Amino acid sequence: MHPSSFEYFAPTKMEEALDLLSKYKGDAKIMAGGQSLIPLLKLRIASFPYVIDISGLNGMRGISEEGEYLEIGALATISDIEENEMVRERYTILHEAAVQIADPLIRNRGTIGGNLSHGDPSNDMPSVAIALKAKMEVIGKEGVRLIEGDSFITDSFTNSMNEGEILRRVLVPAARGSTGGCYIKQKKSAGDFSVAAVAVQLSLNENESIRSAGIGLTSVAPKPLRAIRAERFLEGKKISDSVVKEAAKIVVSESDPSTDFYGTSEFKKKVLERITEEAINVSFERALVG
Amino acid sequence: MSTLNWGERELAYDVSGFVSGKGHFVDDIKLPGMLHMTVLRSPYARARIVSLKGGMSSKDLKARMASVGEGASSEAGLSIEPVFATEFVNYVGEPVAAVFAEDRYKSADLLESIEVDYEPMKPVVTIDDALSMGPIHLGRKNNIMAETIKGADFKDPDSPIVIEDTLENERISANPIEPRGIVASFSEGMLNVWISTQAVHSIKEGLVESLRNSELLIHVMQTDTGGGFGSKGGLYPEYVIAAFASMKFGKPVKWIETRREHLSSTHPGRGMRGKVKLFAEKDGKITGLRGEVMIDAGAYDSGIASFSPGFVAMQMTGPYFIESAQVRGKALFTNKVPQGPYRGAGRPEASFLIERMVDMLADELKMDPADLRLMNMSEKPFTSPMGLKIDGARPFFESAVKELGYMTEVKNSKGVGLSFFVLVPAVYPGESARIIIRDGRVRVWLGGNSHGQGHEVFVKKLVNEELGVPERLVTLYRGDTGMTKTGVGSWGSRSAIVGGAAIVAVCRKIKEDVVKIHGRYSTESLLSGSYDEFINNELKMPLNSFGANLATVEIGKMGNVRIKKCVAFYDVGRALNPDMVIGQIQGGMAQGIGQTLHEGLFYNDEGQLITSSISDAGVPLAEDLPNFTVKIAENRSSLPHGAKGLGESPTIGVPTALIRAIEKASGKRLRRTPVTPEELIS
Repeated sequence: MHPSSFEYFAPTKMEEALDLLSKYKGDAKIMAGGQSLIPLLKLRIASFPYVIDISGLNGMRGISEEGEYLEIGALATISDIEENEMVRERYTILHEAAVQIADPLIRNRGTIGGNLSHGDPSNDMPSVAIALKAKMEVIGKEGVRLIEGDSFITDSFTNSMNEGEILRRVLVPAARGSTGGCYIKQKKSAGDFSVAAVAVQLSLNENESIRSAGIGLTSVAPKPLRAIRAERFLEGKKISDSVVKEAAKIVVSESDPSTDFYGTSEFKKKVLERITEEAINVSFERALVG
Repeated sequence: MSTLNWGERELAYDVSGFVSGKGHFVDDIKLPGMLHMTVLRSPYARARIVSLKGGMSSKDLKARMASVGEGASSEAGLSIEPVFATEFVNYVGEPVAAVFAEDRYKSADLLESIEVDYEPMKPVVTIDDALSMGPIHLGRKNNIMAETIKGADFKDPDSPIVIEDTLENERISANPIEPRGIVASFSEGMLNVWISTQAVHSIKEGLVESLRNSELLIHVMQTDTGGGFGSKGGLYPEYVIAAFASMKFGKPVKWIETRREHLSSTHPGRGMRGKVKLFAEKDGKITGLRGEVMIDAGAYDSGIASFSPGFVAMQMTGPYFIESAQVRGKALFTNKVPQGPYRGAGRPEASFLIERMVDMLADELKMDPADLRLMNMSEKPFTSPMGLKIDGARPFFESAVKELGYMTEVKNSKGVGLSFFVLVPAVYPGESARIIIRDGRVRVWLGGNSHGQGHEVFVKKLVNEELGVPERLVTLYRGDTGMTKTGVGSWGSRSAIVGGAAIVAVCRKIKEDVVKIHGRYSTESLLSGSYDEFINNELKMPLNSFGANLATVEIGKMGNVRIKKCVAFYDVGRALNPDMVIGQIQGGMAQGIGQTLHEGLFYNDEGQLITSSISDAGVPLAEDLPNFTVKIAENRSSLPHGAKGLGESPTIGVPTALIRAIEKASGKRLRRTPVTPEELIS
């Protein structure tokens, strides 16, 4: 439970952090809230000679609607998201995901940036970002670029940032018109990772047919998944029992859960089907009033 | 008989000060020059050690463990664990080498300086593997560690109903809040040991025997012990290594277990598979029981592992009047950490087998499970064919059905489970106690050591009753081999029984001393004098008692179980302190729920532990627990202070009642713990 020794940096400016990162390259690891990294270091599952703690960087914790986006600083803690009134009312899916992450102690330290970048297929925020069609704003020495939410995590514990880049902000398309979403997470016990979880965000046309659908899946593949066929199936349709059931079946066919300690692949598919049906129904009801 | 409902009174809590931060645990000890020990453990379930360089290893200390503590076995012989693995490793987590440094970080770094080449071998992981594969130990014919038959053979009864099934309990980790730990300090020719333990005398005896040094001057002192549940009753390799290293280096050596080490290397409990056949008449009368119990004993004989098959078998008729019964038991070697005692230690396993079968029989006969149970009970005392002695069971259980509110629950809900059991406490061979009276104060030591149960409460009460001394003047000290010549330990629902009886006996000795000097006894003459008495109070009689549980549940659509009611009705003898009794029962009920729904140590085909974090090993959380209802019956035992056993009762009665409730609510036949959501919705 005692990590190997490492050199610790706590830059206060982004430039400093980027300088350190370009100096130490693969030997350096960015730490935000440390809630995933510290356990890995403690158990010596991973070791890095240099740890760059970016939690002291200024101006990266804000949550606000600016024009066409809800902008969330990468250092906003899960608790910041959980407690934000506007998020709770207008981006319910984010609030729901936040309150179901681990426990309050971890939520107080863990950040949305860390949850997104770490790449654990059980992390919740990547599939929420997929459902919300969010973009990741990353910064490096060469400048700033945007990465689509559904291509940010490329494999288990692997993201699409280049060496030397840091996730700075998450840009969520602002909630306009009839839109609503929901995050359902099935877990063995409080604070645990999920057996399976689903993020659904729906926008409706005036005739209550689905204008756009976003569906992200947690814990059912080596990486967070976008259920793109199910999204396309739903788009343009009106919600009915049979549509919901069919969509959930398509979602299951897009998933690839492994048999492990949390259950067999078949069980996870069954759970996924049930929670997806519920998530689509709840999202639709929320979109009607949202 | 009187009963007491909790909820009407405020409970005492934190009598030992652990919750409010007043505990002084082994990791709080810091000595000058102290070295921190880190253990290199086998990454393989089974392998040959081809070469080993660096660290302290079997080249420095070629020794075997001693079988001491709960379930100690004199027959463990060749299958006892080496302190350091020698030619072979036989479980993931087995100590291979140790390193020492002035702080824990450096000590952990030093692990990398050890080079080991292993030649992996195919491991024996499951009970089936053990039966079908060749022996894991050289020189043995098969993987049978121990074998026993309880009960005389009988001819199959000519009964129309015969049911047969196979039932299992997965292994579970004790997971006390404080893991294991030791500080050993050899100086001036004396080995001082501070340790988190249930039994200082087991540690002393074990170290002397394992180090093969009968001349060793050794003083074992218990630190505050933050839970044990059986896992801290005996000796472990790390203790021997720390003691040896301290003697070798002439410096204090500290070892504190990490949670991962606890899950891989501290002896877990349960790990049982049983096959049972019940014969019955159409009216429900059980005419015969045949059984086979197999214990997943792990790689070496911890003592309790080879004792378990017979102990489980002996209890398998439960509180029922079954005149023909025979059970075969086997403990089997597997390439897993040795099995050890965990709260209940064979009692819950036996109860699981008989209670599951009785429920199945009720279903087969379409009878009410309570009626079926009662009709198979005797009004009179009964000794089972396997040697279990019980009082007349029927009167207690008739009242239990009423006290538990069974009839109402069955009417209102589908998911209701009921269980009846006999608690067999580990009375034998008694316990020691010492009292010193000086400076107007009473100082008390017990041979068996409290590890979070709050023994001080019953000690103060009994001293007050026997000697008239106000409780505030009475102090129970932690276990200390310097203060008690001999002693046993705290386990097996025994402390209030045998510890309490020893306190009463030593108080009476002191009373006699006072009378000898003063002609008559008075508290004043006691407290103004100076007295010192020790007693090794032998007890051999069985003090079995009865208990019953009820549970009600609902099943969610994802297979999650919501426990609505969890009710206990236990005969605890005289409740020395009702608050403590209730606290013990609540804690045990949480563990019973844990076993049923959450806890298990799972290994893959390679014998690697999959559940290597406390959350995966599955301790129950607050949100998993219902409000408990605890009712107690107080039928005094034959002992002077009237106590009966208690500590293990909830871990016996809750799993069987709860699994039945889940079975009824889900409509799925359930044969093993833990029950998974997957089983319930598949």
